[in-house]
Amino acid sequence: MAIFNIKKRELECKIVYYGPGRSGKTTNMEYIYKTYKKQVVGEMVSVDTEGDRTLFFDFLPMGLGQIKGFDIKVQVYTVPGQVQYKSTRKLVLKGVDGVIFVADSLAVRREKNMLSLKDLQHNLKEYGINIVNIPLIMQHNKRDLTGQGVPVMTIEQMERDLNRQLKVPSFPASAIIGESVGATLKECLKLTLLSLKKQIKSG
Amino acid sequence: MNITKKIKILLQEAELYHTQGLLNEAMEKYHNATKLIKSNEQLKSNQNLINGIINKIRVLKEDIIKIQKAPKKPEVSAEVQELIKKMCSFAPDKSEDLKALDGAIALAKFGQLKRAITEFNELIKKDSLRVVAAKSILRCHMALSSMDEAVTQYEQWISDDIFSTIQLDKLYVFLENILKKEGVDKKLPRRKAPTVNLEPVITRLGTNVVQAKEPEIEDDALDINSIGITIDSEPQEGQVVEFKIRFQLGNIITLLIPIRDKDLIKSFKVGNKINDIQYYSTTALFSGSGIVTLVKEIKIGPLRGDYCVDIEIVVN
Repeated sequence: MAIFNIKKRELECKIVYYGPGRSGKTTNMEYIYKTYKKQVVGEMVSVDTEGDRTLFFDFLPMGLGQIKGFDIKVQVYTVPGQVQYKSTRKLVLKGVDGVIFVADSLAVRREKNMLSLKDLQHNLKEYGINIVNIPLIMQHNKRDLTGQGVPVMTIEQMERDLNRQLKVPSFPASAIIGESVGATLKECLKLTLLSLKKQIKSG
Repeated sequence: MNITKKIKILLQEAELYHTQGLLNEAMEKYHNATKLIKSNEQLKSNQNLINGIINKIRVLKEDIIKIQKAPKKPEVSAEVQELIKKMCSFAPDKSEDLKALDGAIALAKFGQLKRAITEFNELIKKDSLRVVAAKSILRCHMALSSMDEAVTQYEQWISDDIFSTIQLDKLYVFLENILKKEGVDKKLPRRKAPTVNLEPVITRLGTNVVQAKEPEIEDDALDINSIGITIDSEPQEGQVVEFKIRFQLGNIITLLIPIRDKDLIKSFKVGNKINDIQYYSTTALFSGSGIVTLVKEIKIGPLRGDYCVDIEIVVN
């Protein structure tokens, strides 16, 4: 739930990177932190455990400058992807305004992608949010692994698995080299701000 | 594809999954490769190959154990704790006190128990949150495995002036029940209610003697922070909507439905039983049902037009 402060002329919203464990959520955020220095307004905070696995969350504060006289602030979070951190994911999702779902292109992770999307749907529902109503972007990550001798799903297959019904904007990406990282976030911010504008207008 | 090539592909996959941190997937590939080797007369005598895979599996197992043994909720820096507080009190429509309560509860949920105790101690100063905060402190002490610390804290409160006798009685019942459940044989002290010398009250109809009453003690109901209900009426039919609890008295919880969500009121009719309610407390999440005991429109004050709904908790 975005905070709209008319007195300070400020809008603060929350974007969450969701997806199965090891799909590249933190890698996305690290790339943003390194690359978009002008928009990053503080340090990136990571709480991880053995093997660089996110334990609680990663956090990155961003500022998008002014839009129609309002300062736009964005809190970007990632959730821990491992199945056992279900309750933590729900906590991090609280008050979310926009979601980026990072799916793993590796064929061995096909089921995990689908389970994670279902988990997102369930957690949003628990906050009274229908997944079809929230600004959501799909990112098919690890495209760089194509041709590396491991089975990688085609984009068509991933779209069929994850986006057949949702029909949300999606991006093939390679977070490790920064490919489509910025585009994914920009699209999510665009949809989120549009959605907030609609909410504000409807009172 | 010949068997050597198959094994080579499996090992290549295993190696890549390991570098990706997909340890179970890597393990499966190594095991598949081992099976293939063992099924082939020529290859099963290739001790170098077998030893190489055994070594890879050993390293992989060590990595898996390291992850399994890593603390699940380690104490994090003060900066991260602040962030946890902020992240979970991100609600523009709440009072500062309730936001602070949400923040403290979040710290407890993230395992930051010592810091949570500090935050709850601040909330004890607020009359409306005093008992909730005190119970949370006792829970935090118990989660830290210091039952004695919980008892000491309670004893300290008895000798302080912060709590009323009724509030202390609630804490007494709460702590005593937990001690019983844990099998701890400890007699808790109680603050004695001030003696009131009540004179008989003479009425026109006769003489009534008013007995000095013991303070009412509520059941040891868990403090519920929020509930999730599957709405059974349009336009949100079938959706789970979360409601924050405004008040709780024993097993009766009160939620507030803002006028903008007036459509939801159709789902609450006095006397109706609502099945499949998710109850969220500081320390637990449980399913149950509830009976609607009151639906009332607020007629005056800043919440005019909103609805107040009382639900009696029924645990399945």
